Amino acid sequence: MDLFINLTLNGLATGMLIFLLAAGLTLIFGLMDVLNFAHGGLFAWGAYSGLWIYSETNSFFIGIIGAVITGFVLGILTEKWIIKPVYGNHVQQILITLGLMLVLSEMLKVIWGPNQMMASPPDYLKGSWELGGIIIIKYRVFIILVGLLIFAGVQYVLKKTKIGLVVRAGVMNKEMVQALGINIQKVFMYVFMMGAGMAALGGVLLGPYSGVIHAGMGMEFAILAFIVVVIGGMGNFKGSVLAAILVGLSGSFMAYYVPDLSLAVNMLLMAIVLIIRPQGLFGAKG
Amino acid sequence: MTAVILVAAAFLVLLPFVYESRNLFILLTQIFVFSIFAMSYDLLLGFTGIVSFGHAMFFGIGAYSMGIFMKKFEPTMGYFLLAVLVVIILTAVVSFIVGLLTLRLKSHFYAMLTLALSGLFLVLAEKWRTMTHGNDGFTFRVPEQFIDRTHFYLLCLVLVVAVFLLLKRFTNSPLGRVLQAIRENEQRTESLGYQVLHYKIAASVVSGILAGIAGILYAISLRFVNTSVFSMDITLDALLMTIIGGVGTLVGAIIGAGLIEFAHDWLTALAKEHVIFERWIIFFGIIYIVVVMFFPKGIVGTLSSLSWKRKKQQAVKKEEKAAG
Repeated sequence: MDLFINLTLNGLATGMLIFLLAAGLTLIFGLMDVLNFAHGGLFAWGAYSGLWIYSETNSFFIGIIGAVITGFVLGILTEKWIIKPVYGNHVQQILITLGLMLVLSEMLKVIWGPNQMMASPPDYLKGSWELGGIIIIKYRVFIILVGLLIFAGVQYVLKKTKIGLVVRAGVMNKEMVQALGINIQKVFMYVFMMGAGMAALGGVLLGPYSGVIHAGMGMEFAILAFIVVVIGGMGNFKGSVLAAILVGLSGSFMAYYVPDLSLAVNMLLMAIVLIIRPQGLFGAKG
Repeated sequence: MTAVILVAAAFLVLLPFVYESRNLFILLTQIFVFSIFAMSYDLLLGFTGIVSFGHAMFFGIGAYSMGIFMKKFEPTMGYFLLAVLVVIILTAVVSFIVGLLTLRLKSHFYAMLTLALSGLFLVLAEKWRTMTHGNDGFTFRVPEQFIDRTHFYLLCLVLVVAVFLLLKRFTNSPLGRVLQAIRENEQRTESLGYQVLHYKIAASVVSGILAGIAGILYAISLRFVNTSVFSMDITLDALLMTIIGGVGTLVGAIIGAGLIEFAHDWLTALAKEHVIFERWIIFFGIIYIVVVMFFPKGIVGTLSSLSWKRKKQQAVKKEEKAAG
């Protein structure tokens, strides 16, 4: 029982981190028809900048804020300089965002050095609780709570606000929204910025969770996020959270029982979904 | 253009007889190997218009099959040829199955699925330790005919030229024309009555086999193989070479391979003197973004369109003169 709960919590926490990355990816894809292969780079930038600010100021909270702001800024710049010139051309988008990914992850090494960076949670999130003989690590619960909070927040914005309405309408039919006189370019920018911010938040939360961060982690997590986006259905926000939890849990349980196959299982899952149901397990539309 | 290529090839053939430098020949051999690999990638990216992120899987299959054959059996010419045959069959089968499963998908999905599949091969190479020795890889002996670096250098050179001519012929064949039509407009090609999927699979099989051959040569030239042959970096290299050299030109792939391998070698040497050169990838990344944005045709494409423009201008002037 102890093991089961721990593996579940672990899986949920990882799932939430992947969700933070995948949520932006899926919204950007749904709305702008852009698959951003540099998203993992934004994630790693969030981790590095956030942890650097955290170690300078000694406040984890300020570190998180700093990471999110870094994400926003990088998101705006990326959208303006890299994505905008290649709207509509899929092949060029894939190529150019991949190039950006290279630059972003190498820049990390230039600024913070090529070595791994250590990270530990702040004192108030260190340690664990003991409930009836079951040990629950605080930091994992914290990640799960943050993830749920973000999910609820974005869901609220999407469902209850004007801009959310525009975004949802844009996912369904971009031309129609534009024809109604809404400046969709501006909406693109906001969505991209939010997506980058969420990715950066995921990155900074990952640091203390895994203990070390390195420049290659962007790509590792980006692959998981792609898997999640495919399984959840491209452009499907709710699908992405369910799929992220699924991938997180399967990763955590497989890593314990059949460690050799943990990544392979997720990749196989994605391959099967792509072949049988390309619109995603939870998606209605492709 | 053809004359330039012939002169370059003749120069490269004569080079080992007039100039002795072990390092240079190792570098050139490496360039030839990656030229073949990049040309096979160009067939997909430049001629058919599909972006694969899993091209390393064929390269890796080639390298590992050769390594395993040389290690488990005798390093003789017979087993070498047997291994080549096995690689051709394996890469053909794998690329056929992968193509059948994935080429129906739109570009994004295809890129991701190939990424995932080559990831599976990487995991397989890491975990199947009895065959692959995991991450560490293994060294092996090569047939005695290949021990002499010059012989192997000439073999690779011949193969580059052969693959170049083969692909030139292939892309100019009726089949190649259909592939280019698919690149330009897939729906239209389909509505003209072509089975787009079949043509794409054909391209992917040819490309896969050639990538496997490049993998074989890579393994033989290093006499060592490890999991890095399946890594994303290998695919990225092919992508960079093709894009910077110029997509859809074949010559561009060779020039790109030369530039990148040469720059790699040079910058690694410079890195010993100054730290900034250790991060040479960043220069490539920036150059790459600039090329995709402003020169989507790459070096060769941009140059040839420039000369085409000049020719056109001259022709216009002549006409004006004749008319005037």
